[in-house]
Amino acid sequence: MEILVYGTINSVSLALMALGFAMVYGISRIPNFAHGALYIVCGFVTWTLLNQVGVPYFLAIILALCINGILGVLMYRFVLIRVRGMNISEIIASYAIGLAILEGFRYGGFKGLSYTLPVFMQGSMMIGSVPVDYHRLLMMVIGILFVGLLWLFTHYTKLGLALQGMAQDEKAALMLGIDSDLMAMLAMGFGAILTGVAAILILPLGNIVVESGYHVLIMSIAVCIVGGLGSWVGAIIAAFIIGYAQILTVVWLGSHFQMVVAIMAIVLTLILKPSGLFGQQKELEERV
Amino acid sequence: MNKNKLKITLVCIASVLFCLWGSNAFADKPIILGAPLSTAYVYGWDAERGIKLAVDEINAAGGVNVAGKKRKFQVEVIDTRDLEPGVPVSEALMAVERLILNKNADFILGGPNRSEAALAAMSLLSKYKKISIVTSGVLTPKYHKMVEKQYDKFKYCFRIHGEAVHLVGEMITNFMDLKKKHGLNKIFIIAQDVSHARGAAKVIAKVAGKKGFEITGTELFPTGSSDFSMALLKAKSTGTQIINIWMDMPESAILLKQWYDLKIPALPFGSTLAAAEQPGFWKATDGKGQYTLCNVVNAGNAPSDATEWTMKFYNAYTEKWGIEPEGLGSSSSYMSVYVLKDAIERAGTLDSDKVVAELEKTDVMGVYGRLRFDPKSHQVIFADNPEDGAVGSILQWQDGKRVVVFPKSIAKGSIQLPPWMNK
Repeated sequence: MEILVYGTINSVSLALMALGFAMVYGISRIPNFAHGALYIVCGFVTWTLLNQVGVPYFLAIILALCINGILGVLMYRFVLIRVRGMNISEIIASYAIGLAILEGFRYGGFKGLSYTLPVFMQGSMMIGSVPVDYHRLLMMVIGILFVGLLWLFTHYTKLGLALQGMAQDEKAALMLGIDSDLMAMLAMGFGAILTGVAAILILPLGNIVVESGYHVLIMSIAVCIVGGLGSWVGAIIAAFIIGYAQILTVVWLGSHFQMVVAIMAIVLTLILKPSGLFGQQKELEERV
Repeated sequence: MNKNKLKITLVCIASVLFCLWGSNAFADKPIILGAPLSTAYVYGWDAERGIKLAVDEINAAGGVNVAGKKRKFQVEVIDTRDLEPGVPVSEALMAVERLILNKNADFILGGPNRSEAALAAMSLLSKYKKISIVTSGVLTPKYHKMVEKQYDKFKYCFRIHGEAVHLVGEMITNFMDLKKKHGLNKIFIIAQDVSHARGAAKVIAKVAGKKGFEITGTELFPTGSSDFSMALLKAKSTGTQIINIWMDMPESAILLKQWYDLKIPALPFGSTLAAAEQPGFWKATDGKGQYTLCNVVNAGNAPSDATEWTMKFYNAYTEKWGIEPEGLGSSSSYMSVYVLKDAIERAGTLDSDKVVAELEKTDVMGVYGRLRFDPKSHQVIFADNPEDGAVGSILQWQDGKRVVVFPKSIAKGSIQLPPWMNK
């Protein structure tokens, strides 16, 4: 029962972390290595609005998500647009932005225990014989709801369909009059908001520390590589595979092997199926 | 008239320039204290604050008397980042070497903070014959054992705070007390996957086992881990009564929040539990840190009346930095400067070999008791009573306050159990 409950919680939290990365790559083909930094930005902005400006918690969350979205858009509009299509340059540019943001926070004195966000609900309950705190349960429910909403958005709205069109075939989308750069910019914005949602749900469980930015980036890359770069469904399934594998590793082998699971998953995927579980386009390229 | 004015002006300028030149020419060079510290972490920034406080006090009182000449201390800090996950030891070594070669440090104080980095730096210090007093974070017993084993090579290395084996001894004493008073007999160990914590976890499992305690499990977590639920559930399912934590990463606050949320019926008892050492812990955990115990290694890092100097230091630190001493390296970093000053003044020179000889003869009543180094291992000598040696401090969070509960000679309260343990 412990494995089932905490495996699901861990998987949902991994899926939340990785969705923003998967979305940006899926639509714009930009590997956003500033993903972890955006996660931390949302945490620190929410904290600042809540504790320094005195904005109510819910409003602070909404504002922080908007700021994150704008930051994502600006990153694309002023930096990434210039290197789009050049894979290595995209990685270097986005990683440099991420590094500057994270180390900037560190340099600016954002360190220590002071930076925490309040949990949405205090207390815990028993699921069978397993105690679980309410915030984790809420995180799981909101996470699943959010994935559902995202699916509805991409399948039943004009903008969502345009984004999907871009994800499927950029050239065909261009022929249908979809503005490629605009969609890529919006993808960066939505991706940053998704990353912010993950931060808002996960960070109240601990502290906002700069190092989490690097951790989130590594985990997101692991999930997306296993799931197949660019595939949202793949990312969700991979999050569950890695999430459960981590919990099983903790139970059977020990906690210090937990991080090895993610790295091993990357290595094994690259050896056995480099396109990942659902990386169909890449798979076609490999076949050709 | 104009010519006279010009002459007077020139004479004035010349006089001012002469005075300025004179003051520089006759002032003695400051003594450079190099501090390689992981400044983004509490053990780093706290050591920096402790060192700077002592330096300011000493300089304000005239400086250090070196063979009749008053010289001031000057601190140079370089961030080693060695407490951060994934940062290689070589970074810390580069920082130490830069302090020696670029900043011309006369002495090294503070770190590197991570045991692995401090051990690696020993050869470097030996190569440059630079005296180093580690004051914060380095808890591995290997440090002073290496000095003892290869004295001629590593004689420049000193440690002025407690080490893991001594901390284990203090913990075991408390466990025995808890067993006697409350019948707590089952211990689960949670440690960070780093040298000192792994070592301490092994030692505590061995010693506690010999003392009749049941070790219900040991879990090691990589630096930067942020979910401890499964380990806590393991502790619960095995009927654990004490969770012994060895974790200096800030994420340990998450562990204690989870412990509280899941109402695990076991007392969290940590050592080098960085999060719980800090005054901000209470707010950071929304009060969920209640009942957490942690060993802050030396008195003075939490309020007590160990010596006359303890609260003077505590209050001076709070006044200067606007926050109470936070981590286990505060009082020891502060005292390291005074101990060094004392040794330099007795040696009458900055010559490393002569200062080493004087440091070995150190015998001062400091913030956390009588400070003396073992002349063979250069480890500060610990005792249960401040009159006999350096004393430690174990605190418990009680209603938002850090209450010292051990050693008895300086305790301000006694250990309390969470109400859900009494069911």
